[in-house]
Amino acid sequence: MIQEDLADFSVNYALKLGAKYAEVRLEQHKGTSFLLKNGIPEVSGFDDTLGMGVRFLVKDTLGFVSINNLQKELTKDLIKKAFKLTEDSYKLTEKTKLTKEDVIKTKYEVKQKIKLENISPEEKLKFLKGIDKETKQAVGRFYSLSDDVMHKYYVNSEGAKITQIIPRTNFFYYITVNNKADSLQRFLQHGNVGGWESVKAWNLSEKIKDEIKAMLRNLKEGKKLKPGKYDVVVAPEVTAIMTHEAVGHPTEADRILGREGAQAGESFVTKDMLNKKLGSELLTVADDPTIPGSNGFFLYDDEGVKARRKLLMKDGKINEFLHNRETAAEMGTKSNGSSRANDYDKETIVRMSNTFVLPGKTKEEEMIKEIKNGVYIKNFMEWNIDDKRFHQKYVGCESYSIVNGELGKPIRNPALEITTPGLWSSVDAVGKNIAHFSGTCGKGEPMQGIPVWFGGPSLRLKNIVFK
Amino acid sequence: MIEEDILKKLKNEVDDVIVMSGESNSSHIKFVNNKIAKTGTEILKNISIFAVWKKRVMFTSLKDFDQNTIDKTINNLLKFIKSLQPKEDYYGIAKGPFKYKDIPGLYDKSLIHVNQIDLVEKAINAADVKRCSGDLILSESNSRLIGSNNVDTSTKETNAHFSIRCFMDKEATGHQVISSPTLKNFDVEKTARIAGEIAKMARNPIETVSGKYDVVFHPMAGAALLETIGSSASAFNVSSKMSFLENKIGKKLGNFTLVDNPTIPGGIGSMKQDSEGVPTNKTTIIDKGTLKTYLHNTSTAKKFKTKTTANAGLITPEFFNLVLEPGKNSFKKILPDKGIYITNVWYTRFNNYSTGDFSTIPRDGIFLIKNGEISQPIKNIRVSDNMLNIMKNMSQIANDSQQILSWEVGSPVTTPSFLVKSVNITKPTN
Repeated sequence: MIQEDLADFSVNYALKLGAKYAEVRLEQHKGTSFLLKNGIPEVSGFDDTLGMGVRFLVKDTLGFVSINNLQKELTKDLIKKAFKLTEDSYKLTEKTKLTKEDVIKTKYEVKQKIKLENISPEEKLKFLKGIDKETKQAVGRFYSLSDDVMHKYYVNSEGAKITQIIPRTNFFYYITVNNKADSLQRFLQHGNVGGWESVKAWNLSEKIKDEIKAMLRNLKEGKKLKPGKYDVVVAPEVTAIMTHEAVGHPTEADRILGREGAQAGESFVTKDMLNKKLGSELLTVADDPTIPGSNGFFLYDDEGVKARRKLLMKDGKINEFLHNRETAAEMGTKSNGSSRANDYDKETIVRMSNTFVLPGKTKEEEMIKEIKNGVYIKNFMEWNIDDKRFHQKYVGCESYSIVNGELGKPIRNPALEITTPGLWSSVDAVGKNIAHFSGTCGKGEPMQGIPVWFGGPSLRLKNIVFK
Repeated sequence: MIEEDILKKLKNEVDDVIVMSGESNSSHIKFVNNKIAKTGTEILKNISIFAVWKKRVMFTSLKDFDQNTIDKTINNLLKFIKSLQPKEDYYGIAKGPFKYKDIPGLYDKSLIHVNQIDLVEKAINAADVKRCSGDLILSESNSRLIGSNNVDTSTKETNAHFSIRCFMDKEATGHQVISSPTLKNFDVEKTARIAGEIAKMARNPIETVSGKYDVVFHPMAGAALLETIGSSASAFNVSSKMSFLENKIGKKLGNFTLVDNPTIPGGIGSMKQDSEGVPTNKTTIIDKGTLKTYLHNTSTAKKFKTKTTANAGLITPEFFNLVLEPGKNSFKKILPDKGIYITNVWYTRFNNYSTGDFSTIPRDGIFLIKNGEISQPIKNIRVSDNMLNIMKNMSQIANDSQQILSWEVGSPVTTPSFLVKSVNITKPTN
């Protein structure tokens, strides 16, 4: 049972103690999870959790309380204890301000065409076993399926009251394909907001079988790329991760202000780089949590602000940062609804949602046709980026040479190691196609993994040096 | 007691059951650019249940403790488990009762009453840099483990964790962490001073060229590499093809000794029993370079025809306190004539866990070593190599051991600085 009265009480109690502002997130999660390893059900389970996070502003300092033993007296004691610690911090406080935002009162529930609760554990395991049976050419098969229905009640001292019920599904696979002593590995995640119908739409057996076929061919015929300069076409899966890592993260305002400096890092982007060129004018990048069914879906963020589409990059220029009420106040603007926490016991911070390059005008075939000697990277395995988001590496998994405008032989692990300005400036064609991919983005201390989508069309990158 | 009630209701219905409960009180101070940005206070309770019926394995956790919820969870569990399919390679949990030896240095009441604001202020002053950011987290927890295997044991612990990253400018940073169950070993000022010194030394970094370098890894950086060895040693990862140690038992992989030791007094990951209730002990994973064992619970041990190493997590075996045996030389003595010194890394990712191909990004102070001395700071490099190569080429180990628990190193690793010969360093090309 969601105890809305306790949430309302906690807001008022914090005000009574002297808070200038208070808000509560009461969050319940109900879900199941299944893990199949090489055809064997390793472990299955269900979860039913409920807890509350209370945030307040006292003496210009933010205090946060989390509790899952939802008794009134215990909650009061904890808020009182937290107040003391927060008030004592006054001498060192950064003097936090929060923007004034519209007060929203609303309720909504994302409908499930096929309700997750009506799918039995047998059926979910059978679903995984079915994929396993079809993909036995892979010597290592690690398949996990999980679902979760979140019921969140948000209330703040300005009068906002928002109830959101959001169901999610998630599938993760990790496969190993061998050819004698040689091997290739690959993982991918699928995630949607919705019911069991989204799981059915993933068409997993066919997709994984196709990947295994390509990996086997790569093992048998794949060659290392000769060092040199190439034109490169990256397919949507690669565009997607590049966009998340090298546009989304560097434009998070909390990174720019140094608020995540200790762990997740800062950004090479500075406040004065708004409207400055970062890449090709063909590139426009959006972050949009309002896409129905998307993995990063929400309509109101964890500070009660209405979610909206933001253009982080517009025609190659940095256009807008991702803000919560705290960073927006510091930069003299309004929040754009980008504040999220992965559960009641974590502080809400600036996060991406669904981040993607907007489609362009060129067909992928046309991009390839115009290349004499190039590389096509369909998907990737290893990747990383420095904590200022300035230089990154993406290592192709399924990749091919491009010879005289056509795809040639597979290439083994081409490593694209590039700076962010170098990457985005090299784009000379943006595809008409678009696809989105799911991920769990990590940030914060303690670490918070949050569901996101990243996506985009195929891109052509000119004159990329491979060593 | 709730735990007994759950165990009593379940043990006649399923074959194996472990109930693990915990309650923690913690507080958190997050500081940003020398100022406190947020304080956090929490009380969280949790009960985890691991149950097996006719080889059907399941796991659930409870965070709501009224009698109705507990009864409902038990009923759901029994219904859920009966709808599962068997894990054919499940071979049970260890049978108790067991005798435990208490590990000293895991609880210190004074740590809970320390003035956190003062600690943070002292650390910021000691760092003596333009700005610094970080976190101070203090916690006290009680946990209990009971099971159908005649196990019943409780633990009371305190923990303090401090992370500080110092900035002289955007490109000149230094990062250090310290974790301890007791106040006397929790010197945040020293930690801050070291992070500050690294940041000051890291000013005005230059680009360098890619190629093979002899690299000295500071404990912060080395721990991230060693953690991948500890994780690869889990029998679960070995059988999942997510390990570069598969088929390497008895093989010579280098010249170092790596143990898991959950019995270290005052160790952050120290605990007297594993998640099945088996008393923990020191396990030598790699002895003078030779891989001796994987890390097991009772079930994986039977599958691998060996004995449990008492490394059960509730689902998979895991290391608790990974320790690289120190060498005899000081840090200065292991510096090569020419090479690179890396003080921290992040974003370690594998291209292939079974081959060990990976890359990781050095961050914070990175320096060239010239004439056996730390010299010019450098930037924008990446370690792109293979873990089996790293192990084989680990040629010198210093005696400056440090226990590391950080954002990048999620389970505690104690390591000194070490030198690895001929490490592949790459750089962005465009």
